[in-house]
Amino acid sequence: MARIYQVPSHTRLWLALAVLLCSLPQLVKGPPWQAGLLLLVILIRWLVEQQRMTLPGRMVRSLLLIGAVVLTFYSFGRLYGPEAGVALLVSLFALKYLEVVQQRDAYVVIVLGYFVCATALLFSQAPGMFLYVVLCMTVLTTCLVGINHSDTRASGLLHGRRALVITLQAIPLMVVLFLLVPRVAPLWNMQVGGDKARTGMSDSMSPGQISELSESAELAFRVDFQGDMPPRAQRYWRGLTLSHYDGRTWQQAVPQGQPESEYLYQRGSEKPDWYKRLEGRRSPDQQYYRYQVIAEPTQRRWLFSLDVPFPLYGDVSLAKDMRLVANQPVSERFAYRVDSVPAVSAAINLTSQERQLMLSLPEGAGRKARGLAHQWRLESDSASDIAQRALDYFRDQPFHYTLRPPRLTVDPVDDFLFRTRRGFCEHYASSFTFLMRAAGVPARVVVGYQGGERNELGSHLLVRQYDAHAWSEIWLGGHGWTRVDPTGAVAPDRIELGLREALENSEDGRDLLDDLGLRRFSDGGLFAKVSQLMDYVDFRWQTWVLGYDSAFQSEFLEDLLGAVSPVRIAIALIVAVTLLMGLYALFLLWHGGNERLTLMEREYWRLHQRASERGRPLEAGLTPMQLCQAISEQWPQAAIAADNWAKYYQKLHYDPVSLPNKQQKRHLRSLRNRLYKLLD
Amino acid sequence: MQLPAPLRNFYERWLARRLPSARQIVLDQRRIFIFPTGYGFFYLLVAALLFIGGINYENNLILALSFLLASLFMVAILHTFRNLSALGIRNGDSESGFAGEEGALEIVLFAQRREHHCVWLRWRGQDGQQISIRRGEEESLWLNLPLAERGRVMAPRLKVESRFPLGLLRTWSYVTLDHYCLAWPRPKESLDCPADGGKENQEAFSSGQSGNDEFQGLRSYIPGDSLRRVDWKGYAAGRGLNTKQFEEPVGGRLWLRWDRLPGIGEEQRLSVLCYWILQLDQQRQPYGLALPGLTLAPDTGDVHRWRLLDALAGYPDF
Repeated sequence: MARIYQVPSHTRLWLALAVLLCSLPQLVKGPPWQAGLLLLVILIRWLVEQQRMTLPGRMVRSLLLIGAVVLTFYSFGRLYGPEAGVALLVSLFALKYLEVVQQRDAYVVIVLGYFVCATALLFSQAPGMFLYVVLCMTVLTTCLVGINHSDTRASGLLHGRRALVITLQAIPLMVVLFLLVPRVAPLWNMQVGGDKARTGMSDSMSPGQISELSESAELAFRVDFQGDMPPRAQRYWRGLTLSHYDGRTWQQAVPQGQPESEYLYQRGSEKPDWYKRLEGRRSPDQQYYRYQVIAEPTQRRWLFSLDVPFPLYGDVSLAKDMRLVANQPVSERFAYRVDSVPAVSAAINLTSQERQLMLSLPEGAGRKARGLAHQWRLESDSASDIAQRALDYFRDQPFHYTLRPPRLTVDPVDDFLFRTRRGFCEHYASSFTFLMRAAGVPARVVVGYQGGERNELGSHLLVRQYDAHAWSEIWLGGHGWTRVDPTGAVAPDRIELGLREALENSEDGRDLLDDLGLRRFSDGGLFAKVSQLMDYVDFRWQTWVLGYDSAFQSEFLEDLLGAVSPVRIAIALIVAVTLLMGLYALFLLWHGGNERLTLMEREYWRLHQRASERGRPLEAGLTPMQLCQAISEQWPQAAIAADNWAKYYQKLHYDPVSLPNKQQKRHLRSLRNRLYKLLD
Repeated sequence: MQLPAPLRNFYERWLARRLPSARQIVLDQRRIFIFPTGYGFFYLLVAALLFIGGINYENNLILALSFLLASLFMVAILHTFRNLSALGIRNGDSESGFAGEEGALEIVLFAQRREHHCVWLRWRGQDGQQISIRRGEEESLWLNLPLAERGRVMAPRLKVESRFPLGLLRTWSYVTLDHYCLAWPRPKESLDCPADGGKENQEAFSSGQSGNDEFQGLRSYIPGDSLRRVDWKGYAAGRGLNTKQFEEPVGGRLWLRWDRLPGIGEEQRLSVLCYWILQLDQQRQPYGLALPGLTLAPDTGDVHRWRLLDALAGYPDF
């Protein structure tokens, strides 16, 4: 029994719209020939609808397919991989749409549409994109409704309404499933877009690098504090420590021959000595900060945290220089949770090899600076005293804090310290560390971010690229590594208020700010409020939706169910789905009041029902007289009473002049009750 | 797919018990079955693939999309069920036919509570017909019914099916209507007309129903004459009230009699009678029929012929 369904005319427009909407995200970012292909297909379909041409035959379609494959190869250089694969899928989607004749074809197009929607989410996970995909799903559902409605007079708009209702009802169910269906670990590993440009901080520091970063208002990471947030002046987000200096550039280094396992502690692996000491120093009455960081992708491994982080969850390791390292390069937004305990930093020891490294200086660089440092060393009796002298030097001499420092020539250290004296944080950190090392105090440069801005709506912290900062750490016996920020000596505003305020207060800063257009929430005004809201939505989306992984889920379920066990989850899932479905069933199958019986009808049905219960079942379509007869047959003793009832009923019910009044109704009821007694 | 015979019999008995026949049926949850279609299973497979994709790419939004597909499926269960639920079905008219040919039954669908879209109706093994009913309205469909044997052919079990709105699920019900189609006997040629009467009986019927015969003349109106026989044209022309009179055809009235066909089987008797009914009808002869237990007075015309044929079909229970 083969029926040939043609796709009904009221659905064709919806189908075209669905194809267009689903492909759009790929068309925007893909090669232009894809848009051309889709437009060509839509044009052909339109001409076919207008009966100006026939559907292209197998030959033309094959040629188009081969063309699409060739162009994909031409554009991407290959036919596999996410980008090329998606481009092929979208072309296939358009070509399948070209050959839709029967209902079957339309079904295939719709299924391809689901996949195209899914691939759009592969490349963008913004809330707007998800909303857009839900819209596409609604249109695809509309197509399903349309191709299943074979009446020619049906209205396309009604399909849309029906699909919208169905989708809206499906969304709460989707949320329930999203929250409760257990997350499984990946079956096999997949990575999308591994060869993206690296952004943010680099792994070395030379003059001008951080000031370049300062010109960007891009987001670096966001922090959600549980409980207190440290004051701005204490918010030093450590990223990297740089220990090797070649006269111009600071770089990461570890003492030669030290294996990674000795300075990097990965959760779950064997604990190195220094980590045991750190843990041993922890006590419950210490002040600590607990927070979650959501880092933007950098394609690098290092992460940012406050002093002495203890990772709670996330795929992260702790290095001996008290910073966090991701186990894989951060290629997507990445969340980790940390406890930071500033007090335990003294537990870290300094081996002799490390001391040697932290004192090393390049031959020949900064002769004058070395002289100055020697002088301080002779005049002071402790390392902290030497540091104080250095800071005083920056404060007292005419040093300036500026984003656009003059170029440094041959010897950057001496040139900066004694000639230009205009610099950004990296200049100060670099020269301060140099001076310390020259004076015999182990020191290193730390790069990271300082400060961050609070979103009042979400009470989370935003750290942007222009918060990038560099400072120093010196080794003090008994205190361990101690943070010293020479920039604070020159421009206290930078630390207390942030870069923007610091620049506003300096002479050349204001023009610069306008040039760069570094905008902030705190500017006030509608724009700021809107961008604050957008950021809040994005942040929550990030933490609650995209970050809803198995760890988060088990935490959530523990709050919800008390304890997490497969049985409990299954029960919660079944109960929630059943409740929702029951609610929908009530709403959908409830037939409202349109079937309400009139009083006389009720009177009739009551007797009918009673007689059916007591005796044999009666047919539904009896007249009152027939009902009376049926009763008399079964209960001869009730014949008279039944006859009385039926006659009175007819008299009342079919009286054309007036409706039965109260008294009459009561009489009818008493007749019925009398009759009841005789039915045994 | 055919089940083995014992299972099928068991299934048939179960269905017959579960869904007793009636003249009018309103579909409710006891009568409605629902199951995914092939496309529905395919759709679930797509949802499962997206779920695996979401897991593997660790992409929560693709997971959410797969959950959305699953949720749409679940909601579609209710919507598909709803499309058939509360649909009323009752007997309509019937159209008789000769045994071996086809008759037709009218099925009336009524929608008391809501609209019902794209409902397919069919007997087993036949092409279906599709219909949509708007709320508060009635629609009717004629379904052909093959008539194997003379007599009352009961309506077979009717399958009412719908995939609306998403085509992911199929919901159906079996309805056994207490409805039948009459199968007239297959005409059997015979040379002797099993009839008596004719010219010699002419007078006996002259005052009876002379409706379809040849016009004879006018006589003045007597109260009680049928108004349809009044010569209204003449009355309008001022010639007074007159009644038209008709004369019997030349052949006179004939009685087809069961008793005049002795010695052959019942069915054959009926077939011969059927043949002669058709013959006499073609000759425009008034004819009547006398069966054991039923006598139908002579007349002519389509309605008369049908009445007689129906009587033959119904024999012996009229």
